[in-house]
Amino acid sequence: MNQALSALEFRGLAKTFKLGPWHKAHQALADVTLSVTSGEIFGYLGPNGAGKTTTLKILFGLVRPQNGQITVLGRPHADRSWRAKTGYLPENPYLYDSLTPREYLTYAAKLSGLPSQGLARRVDETLDLVGLGEARHRQIRTFSKGMVQRAGIAQALVGDPELVILDEPMSGLDPIGRALVRRLILDLKSRGKTVFFSTHILADAEILCDRVAILRAGRVVSQGPLAEILQVDVSHMEVICTGVVDPATLSAVEGIRVASAAGARLHLEVQNSSLSQAIAKIESGGGRIVSVLPERKTLEEVFLDEVQGTSPNRSKVASWEA
Amino acid sequence: MGSLSLSRIMAVTSNTFREALRQRILLGLVPFAIVLFGGGLLLRQISVFQEVKILKDLALAAMDLFGSFAAVVMGVDLVNREIERRSAYPILARPLLRSEFVVGKFFGLVAALGVNLVLMTLLLAIALWAMGSEMTAGFLPAPYGIFLTLVLTIALALFFSVITNSILAFTFTIVMVIAGRFSDVVRNMAEVLPDIPRAVPQALALALPNLQNFDFKLRAVYSDPIDPNVLVLVTLYAGFYCMVVLALSVMAFEKKELV
Repeated sequence: MNQALSALEFRGLAKTFKLGPWHKAHQALADVTLSVTSGEIFGYLGPNGAGKTTTLKILFGLVRPQNGQITVLGRPHADRSWRAKTGYLPENPYLYDSLTPREYLTYAAKLSGLPSQGLARRVDETLDLVGLGEARHRQIRTFSKGMVQRAGIAQALVGDPELVILDEPMSGLDPIGRALVRRLILDLKSRGKTVFFSTHILADAEILCDRVAILRAGRVVSQGPLAEILQVDVSHMEVICTGVVDPATLSAVEGIRVASAAGARLHLEVQNSSLSQAIAKIESGGGRIVSVLPERKTLEEVFLDEVQGTSPNRSKVASWEA
Repeated sequence: MGSLSLSRIMAVTSNTFREALRQRILLGLVPFAIVLFGGGLLLRQISVFQEVKILKDLALAAMDLFGSFAAVVMGVDLVNREIERRSAYPILARPLLRSEFVVGKFFGLVAALGVNLVLMTLLLAIALWAMGSEMTAGFLPAPYGIFLTLVLTIALALFFSVITNSILAFTFTIVMVIAGRFSDVVRNMAEVLPDIPRAVPQALALALPNLQNFDFKLRAVYSDPIDPNVLVLVTLYAGFYCMVVLALSVMAFEKKELV
């Protein structure tokens, strides 16, 4: 990877916590190595306890790693100047609830070194951006969880950072809030910013990310461009049809599996070699073909394969045998 | 490691000050005013010629008690609460040094309790005026001494909150503050307990804040003039003690992992 294009790089990051009264060692991260390219949206995925938040805490110096090197915006981690160009939303942020979002963002902007000239305008613009313009003079203690989350995102963006790090940005948001955050993330990308976010909500990652890394028990088990990870399975086709009088006649044919049925609408997994036979069977059974597409794995399927340690091919075989 | 920035410290200080006021610290003035004016009325009925002295005494004791209690409770919470609630995370992720955070928080609470003390002193001045008396400049070393006591108390509470949990920090601070008010007993410990090595009371006397240095209450009530040099010396002592405790707090906080 071209070093000049890297916005964030972890190399061999490792962290062990000592837990409980007996200081039992718990390895939170083991040899995490990944690189985030400038201008991309990078999804950092993993189940609870995989080490996502620990990685971000190490990045921002809240905890210290045992091993590893970090480069941020081309600068070594120890050089704190990158912090002024980075925005961070922690998981489930707790903001000073006796302040208004305007006061909080002003405080955050000052700490990021923004000049006082134009600061008020920048704060108001950022609040408008996250949809909190109307609530700018209300104390944060009166906010709903979703509003607090949006205020948290606003404090991450107020310094106009080059690199935005969001830990579970969709947490606590309703569908409208999620759509707003998705739009914000895409808007950041369109303005050349780099976004690195951790999430459990795989549908959002699938929509937004250029590349993802999947973390399991402190190790990166898969990473790369989303298109490569969600590989197209050319040996199977996804056929959607409606109006088949007797679906059982389809299941009886070798190479056809009824994946799901919703009313008259059937979702079939069909081996390529059986495709023409399946189409004929549907039409002779009184049905109508809605779509025929090469089968594509969802990010959720990839994620579950990776975190459960199951081979994608083996799970595929198992589903066919079932 | 970057260099200290005054503007970042000021930002933390002013934010801490604002937060302390929003947490209704000034509500403590209400019971104080009730004690002051209610006590004044009562004293007029039950004491002859001594009501002004008793009121001053009562007010200074209330200022000391309320201020010290607020200093311990809010001082212990100053950094600990931010870590427990994780509100410090997005703040410390910025170009802010941990030392700037600690120092800024300290001065923010000092300013808030200082304003509170000034307002209490003003209320006392009004109560005295209502009783036909007045507050002279010679009285002011007493609230100033209380202020220095509060500054040291905040520094100690902050230090203990960084190195331990809130409950232990609260306990340790209370113990230090009480022991500091009886520092002469600690210094004379060797005479009462001759078997202990002399180094023990000497070390304790050095480590404990000598809060008796700042107690001008009795002298102020009886209008006993206080040498300005004494005020300079106690201010230097408080400044030096705070610097040492703050430096220890910063060192401990630099090493702390915010898990």
